[in-house]
Amino acid sequence: MPNGRSGDACETVRVRLIVARCSVEYKGRLAARLAPAVRLLVLKRDGSIAVHSDTKAYKPLNWMSPPCVIEHRERQITATTAKGESLVIELDEVLSDQTFDLGDDPGLDKDGVEAELQELLAARVAALGDDLELIRREYPTDIGPVDLLCRDSSGRTIVVEVKRVGEIAGVEQLLRYCERLERDSRFAPTAGMFVAERIKPQARVFAESRGVRCIEVDIAELRGDIDHLTLF
Amino acid sequence: MKFRCERDTLAEALATAQRAVASRNGALPVLFDLRITAIADAIELVGSDLEITNRVTVPAAVEQTGVAVLPKILGDVVRKLEAGPVTVEVEGDEAKVSSGVFATTLRLKAVEEYPRILATDGAGAKVDAHLLAGALRQVVKAASKDEMRPPLTGVLVAARPGGTGIRLVATDSYRLALRDLDGVSMLEDGQKVLVAAKGLNEVQRLAGDGEITVVLGEREAVFRTDKAEVTVRLIEADFPNYEQLIPQGYPNRLVVPKEAFREAVERVTVVGQGRDNANVRLQMSTGGGLELSVSAADVGTSTGHLDAKYEGADLTIAFNPQFLLDGIDAVDASEIALETVDHLKPATLRPADGGDFLYLLMPVRTA
Repeated sequence: MPNGRSGDACETVRVRLIVARCSVEYKGRLAARLAPAVRLLVLKRDGSIAVHSDTKAYKPLNWMSPPCVIEHRERQITATTAKGESLVIELDEVLSDQTFDLGDDPGLDKDGVEAELQELLAARVAALGDDLELIRREYPTDIGPVDLLCRDSSGRTIVVEVKRVGEIAGVEQLLRYCERLERDSRFAPTAGMFVAERIKPQARVFAESRGVRCIEVDIAELRGDIDHLTLF
Repeated sequence: MKFRCERDTLAEALATAQRAVASRNGALPVLFDLRITAIADAIELVGSDLEITNRVTVPAAVEQTGVAVLPKILGDVVRKLEAGPVTVEVEGDEAKVSSGVFATTLRLKAVEEYPRILATDGAGAKVDAHLLAGALRQVVKAASKDEMRPPLTGVLVAARPGGTGIRLVATDSYRLALRDLDGVSMLEDGQKVLVAAKGLNEVQRLAGDGEITVVLGEREAVFRTDKAEVTVRLIEADFPNYEQLIPQGYPNRLVVPKEAFREAVERVTVVGQGRDNANVRLQMSTGGGLELSVSAADVGTSTGHLDAKYEGADLTIAFNPQFLLDGIDAVDASEIALETVDHLKPATLRPADGGDFLYLLMPVRTA
């Protein structure tokens, strides 16, 4: 819910949205000025300030990233950095000034994480077990593709299901693939392996009760933080 | 403002200025445009994203002096015109670009919104353009593009002791390129500056056959070529202490023809294209030459052999293929020496007969 508020002090705890006719002057490595116009000013909890127009999608016309000191005087908002850069916003007319508490953000669920995890694991199945050998990635079955099909040193086929977050539904999906492949003499006997960045406790209990091994992996490590040594 | 200029001359100048125009999100809107100043018998075109500024001056028949900020689409408009003189005339808040029976009007931007880009005075030092461009080609690629690590996005230009020349160094933490230029003096004894690598790419591009004048200011370096003037921001940060990274000696040394090495690496890496983890594995043994291989899960494996001179212990070492290819390309010699300590310590590529360039490359750990 919005909180109407007057702009006499700078709110840093909540996001603050000001719509105002204003002019903006930046001084630092260069001098830049925005002529008076109606703009949206966004002051975020992270200590940033951004000046938006009604175009350019998410891109601000000017901004100051934290760490910076933001001061609000009667008709002026000033943001300054330790390097001496300053963004001075002269407020000619404030049309709206509201603050909101957005709470904690759950983060962005990105499509493609699972696909990347799958690709990284296919390139290094040893991360799942020293004796594993990749048979095929995305092995097609009648009920959908198996993420990774591997073989261990005893000749068992290891059916791997890869998820970003491991939940019971994912374990059930893996059990269906195992059951399907167990019928195929080329792959029997099979065993399931449930791999995710994070596996929920209920899913782990369920998986282990069905003989499915659970492995949590770190995508950053798989991406190469381990493989790519650095000079310094 | 009104001037007339030959299409080809104007189009080339616009293309040069345009390369420095902002392309990133979040820049001042006016930085997506070009500033044109008409003076007595020439026009000056400026494009800038504040990190790099390209300034080009070309002869023109100026009927009325003035200054205007035009959208960078002007370059496309001019390029599409028929060969011959092009007239640009500013009237009110528009510029009319015409040639023969064709004309285009473009909305002007406010001149006062264009940043004041200061000129750097001073005679500067003169450097052979071919020599400097060659050295930049060897070094700049090793600089980082990660803007979260500002010191690594620059090229260190440092005076060598005793005024014997300068040293150029760039690193992205995975590889480091170093080139010494003897007899080049543009710095005081002990002086060093960090120049934004992105701008040095532009210097390379504009370097001709003559000389480049280099003027070092407090916050920027200016490179004047016979075609244009490039102003590049200096990075105010400490460059890593790179000297300690270079091994004092190498027990293993492979000598291989450069072209054959490059072709072999390119050939085996095709199978791993687009795969981050498809590193190129080099297996070296005395009398056995060099075995190359790349393996990409669910794609396949490529292998190859190259006759090479090798002295040292049998060793298998793996590298990021692109970083290795960059290093091979950067070595200016017909034969390359690949010197190694073991499969986890930095390796060095350099001309087999020594020389003034080295490319330090970190291996990748193999499974």
